[in-house]
Amino acid sequence: MTDPQPPDSLSRTLHAWRVTPARNPQFRAEVSARIAAAGAVDSWSGYLRGHAVTVTAALMLAVLLGAVGGRNQARSLAAADSARLASAYVESLDARAMKMP
Amino acid sequence: MKNFFITLGVAVAACALAFGVFFVLNDDPALRRAARENDAMAWLRVEFRLSDAQYAAIKKLHDDYGAVCGEHCAAIMEARERKAPAAEVERLEKVCVDAMTGHFKRVAALMPAEQGDRYLATVLPRVSGYAHTGAPNLRANP
Repeated sequence: MTDPQPPDSLSRTLHAWRVTPARNPQFRAEVSARIAAAGAVDSWSGYLRGHAVTVTAALMLAVLLGAVGGRNQARSLAAADSARLASAYVESLDARAMKMP
Repeated sequence: MKNFFITLGVAVAACALAFGVFFVLNDDPALRRAARENDAMAWLRVEFRLSDAQYAAIKKLHDDYGAVCGEHCAAIMEARERKAPAAEVERLEKVCVDAMTGHFKRVAALMPAEQGDRYLATVLPRVSGYAHTGAPNLRANP
């Protein structure tokens, strides 16, 4: 049993057929990115790259909160110390506050 | 989830670091030292940014006022001990307040104008707001 011979017209069409796919200039980069993403799923650096915006915003917020908190805490302590010493200073010169030994 | 907690830890560390840096930047070690040592004169020097000359002049004024304050103190104590009429004690206390107010104004005059105003705004309300809370315990004279 032999294969049937294709018709001449089909043979000619197949012979003349050329595949010319559209060139994708990002193909290599996309492949690399997908490979890297697949390999970096469990790494922290990969996590950071995947959540860059969120992580950056969280870090900036943390630094801001820390800075404001540190500044306020220092000023608050200084104000409290200053107020206490001011009261004690005045009392130290106030005969009404003194007691006989 | 592990990566989330690592990131959270880094954020907390960054927050703590920023807290520490800004605390130190806004801290006043001289004031803290004065508070730790209960040194009112050191506080005065730091708080009102006195120069050595200004501080020396104010210290002398305080030392001189010590004798006056001591007299007022003795008079008030003596009146209280013999249970003098309230009017007499009030009169003695008024003498004390007037002398103290005058002293504070003389001290303020030795400071730069802006600091002097701030000094008076700090101490005068405490003179008028006095409420027999106990004896002083600082190293300020007298």
